Amino acid sequence: MFKDIVLAVIAVGFGLLLNAQSVSSGLKEEANIYGKVFDAPLRVAENDSLLFHGLYNRKPLILALVFTRCYGVCNPFLLRLAEYIQLRDKDDSFSVLVLSFDPKDSVDDMKLLGKRYGLENNTQWTFAVTDSIESLNRSIGFYPSWDSSIEQFDHDALLVGINNEGFITKKLIGIRQPHDLDLLIASVNNIFSPTYRLPNRNALFSCFNYDPKTGKNTPGLGLLFIALPAIVTVILLLSISYFVRHKPLG
Amino acid sequence: MESTKSKKITAVWILTVLVLFIVSIVLGILMRLNQGGSIEQTPISFYTNMTTHGMTMIGIWFVAGMAAINYLLQRYIRTSFTINVVALVLTVIGILLFWSSTFIGKFHAAWTFLYPLPFKQMGAESWATLMFLVALTVLGVGWLIWSLSLMTQLLKKYSIPQAFAWQHFRKNPKFETPPFILITMITLVGIIACLISAVVLIVLFFAEYFSSGTFVNDALLMKNITYFFGHTIANEMLYLGLAVIYELFGEVSGRPKWKTTWYVALAWNFTLVFILTAFFHHLYMDFVQPQGLQIVGQLASYLASLPAAGVTVFSVFIAVYRTEIKWSLVNLLFFIGIAGWVIGGLGAVIDATISNNFVLHNTLWVPAHFHTYNAMGNVLFSIAFFYWFSTRQFTQNFKVAKYTKWTLALLLIGGIGFLMAFYIAGADSVPRRYSIYPSEFTTAAPLANLGAIFATVYLIAILIFFFNISKRCLKILSLPS
Amino acid sequence: MEQRSILLLFLVLAGAATIVFTLVYLSSRKPERSGQGMSNPLNKRFWFSLILFVILGIFSSVTIPKSPYYLFADETPTKVIHVSAMQFAFFLSENAIDPKSPSNETIMLPANKLVEFRVTSMDVNHGFAIYNEANRLIGQTQAMPGYVNRLRFKFKEPGKYSILCLEYCGMAHQVMRSSFVVK
Repeated sequence: MFKDIVLAVIAVGFGLLLNAQSVSSGLKEEANIYGKVFDAPLRVAENDSLLFHGLYNRKPLILALVFTRCYGVCNPFLLRLAEYIQLRDKDDSFSVLVLSFDPKDSVDDMKLLGKRYGLENNTQWTFAVTDSIESLNRSIGFYPSWDSSIEQFDHDALLVGINNEGFITKKLIGIRQPHDLDLLIASVNNIFSPTYRLPNRNALFSCFNYDPKTGKNTPGLGLLFIALPAIVTVILLLSISYFVRHKPLG
Repeated sequence: MESTKSKKITAVWILTVLVLFIVSIVLGILMRLNQGGSIEQTPISFYTNMTTHGMTMIGIWFVAGMAAINYLLQRYIRTSFTINVVALVLTVIGILLFWSSTFIGKFHAAWTFLYPLPFKQMGAESWATLMFLVALTVLGVGWLIWSLSLMTQLLKKYSIPQAFAWQHFRKNPKFETPPFILITMITLVGIIACLISAVVLIVLFFAEYFSSGTFVNDALLMKNITYFFGHTIANEMLYLGLAVIYELFGEVSGRPKWKTTWYVALAWNFTLVFILTAFFHHLYMDFVQPQGLQIVGQLASYLASLPAAGVTVFSVFIAVYRTEIKWSLVNLLFFIGIAGWVIGGLGAVIDATISNNFVLHNTLWVPAHFHTYNAMGNVLFSIAFFYWFSTRQFTQNFKVAKYTKWTLALLLIGGIGFLMAFYIAGADSVPRRYSIYPSEFTTAAPLANLGAIFATVYLIAILIFFFNISKRCLKILSLPS
Repeated sequence: MEQRSILLLFLVLAGAATIVFTLVYLSSRKPERSGQGMSNPLNKRFWFSLILFVILGIFSSVTIPKSPYYLFADETPTKVIHVSAMQFAFFLSENAIDPKSPSNETIMLPANKLVEFRVTSMDVNHGFAIYNEANRLIGQTQAMPGYVNRLRFKFKEPGKYSILCLEYCGMAHQVMRSSFVVK
């Protein structure tokens, strides 16, 4: 009977697996980690410019790279990020920099972009352009390429975590689950977790899921399997004891 | 009381265990000789020998303990002869299947068969892993039936609180649970839990094996379950030996029988908790394991030594210190075995410290400490039982014969020398489970040869015991029923 | 603790245990006529257990904070080395390693700077153990498929360090190795 239960659990597991969403390869995300980000001059308004370190020294930074003419991933990507940060109950342990990697974008284009998301007066968010985008791109390992046939950049939706010393702590490519964004924010705040899972693995039977928001591990389905032997033993003990002592007479 | 039938089956268990023990020691000596460069085996033969040595040793000392408590339990309850035979048959079939998977199929994933190695062995036959898993299933089923049957029989006579001696927590308990019953119960619960974890493990292995790639297991989960099973069974077989000591030490020493008191009851109930959580210390170097569990692992490993030292070891001291004892081979082996268990335990506590484990994990320190409490602890408990069992059918005279002292001396010299070779190499950072050592470890090969020589001395002592015990066991088999 | 001191500690403890067992054994060879056995055993048992408990408590409170998970947790590493283990080789690189075409680089590390190893495996469980020039094991972590273990370390002495596999991984486990240089 016990085997039946396990097999049933496994069968359900197969079903879940088929629906599991695959995550982009973690390979590119590992590049340039703990490298120093290039200290580019940023322009946030017509006559308001500062160096990159002026921003990240104040507070750890999440850097999002976009361009305003994009009709691909940039918009949904920013929208998801904005939604996610709004849901995070006023966590001001970090700020967000949305930077254009398109030399054609102007300060005003970026301002407009901020307005579109209702973030123009939000102090946590900064929208900026830079004239040293190539050096910056190199320092974070970001390589968009211009496709003249469609007049668009072919690029990754990239988030870069930068701690307040200017080191890249973590990168995320693609539109990601809140859990990954939590890890990103934990990393810019220099919260060291001695391990992480690789994407694209079957997480169904993992023992624990690390929650960077609380810094705690929540039990996963796998933990059940570790506890199962002890639970089954107690049940066996109680039921055997019951049956041998309450044997029907005759 | 014990029937002739039950004597005979116990004799068969003893003969089986001793024959397999000698073969496994020989495999071990061959491994050390190969590491020393004295003989030359291919790496695959070395690792198949290693796998066979480990699994066979775990298996036989587990069943040796079980056969002993099964025999002694008949003083208190009825046990099923049929189930005992079924367990014996399944154990023999399981071992034969397992040996074919290693010796013929070249299965060499070590006795811990850490996932996913059994699926990714180079040089093994394609059927070997399946055969190994089937062998494991046969053994697991046989042992689970056996343990459940013994537990059922215990529960027929004792209620759960009585079996766990909970009434001893109150003043002046009306009913005394014999310590042998208490320890047997505690140990059986642990054994059943660990055998069920083996079932879970095997099911997950089979699920991946038959899913042809669609189902992949989680390596961390598998490692946790593997060591829940592996650590627990290796520990519980020691406790089976301790149960025998609690039952027999007083009796063979001509002293009163040991009694259950509140602290004995408390210690053993706690032991059950610690034993089921200490296995986390096998995963210290897996930083993926949550840190809370790592600390639980260290604390549980430390705390497990408290009831052991404060109650069992101390009880042995009280029983011996300044008392007129009839020393015989039986209680002498018990006494030396307890010392071996304590010393192995010291090595274990040192290694169960996370910061030490950082520089000791998977060096020869690990086999050093577990060989201490097995080869110089648990083995002696069981041999003492074998000797007591086989002798008392013919005489009540257990006096130490002259040559026995020499046998004991050989056992001690061989055992200590063989273990020191492991400890010193472990402190020299020599890795465990290497078929040959990289040349930069200059002490490793000489120490391995030294270990082999001392292990041979140990083997000679065991052979003397073997001839002695098996002669009488064969006589028991020829008794008219 | 270094392995040598650990061995010494063990030998002292084991020696003490042997002496105690021998004395107890000898005492039973000539039991005194009067006052057989141990006097006041329950009291002695209590003190023995209490002292043991206190010693273990002190020992764990000293050692637990030294666990490798807490090493340099609040510093930013100067260098990250990606390590991917497979039967029977290590791939080390300053860049992320592509499992489809893993590449290996010669690794040079700065002395006295924080280095982070990000260790994973492409097939079975392996060990990632660092040995110094005197062939002493100075630290390790496991390489587990599907997970990355981050080992942080500062190398005080320049020289050549070896990496050995310390988790049994199959027929060529004993020759699986790599190395790096600390300058």
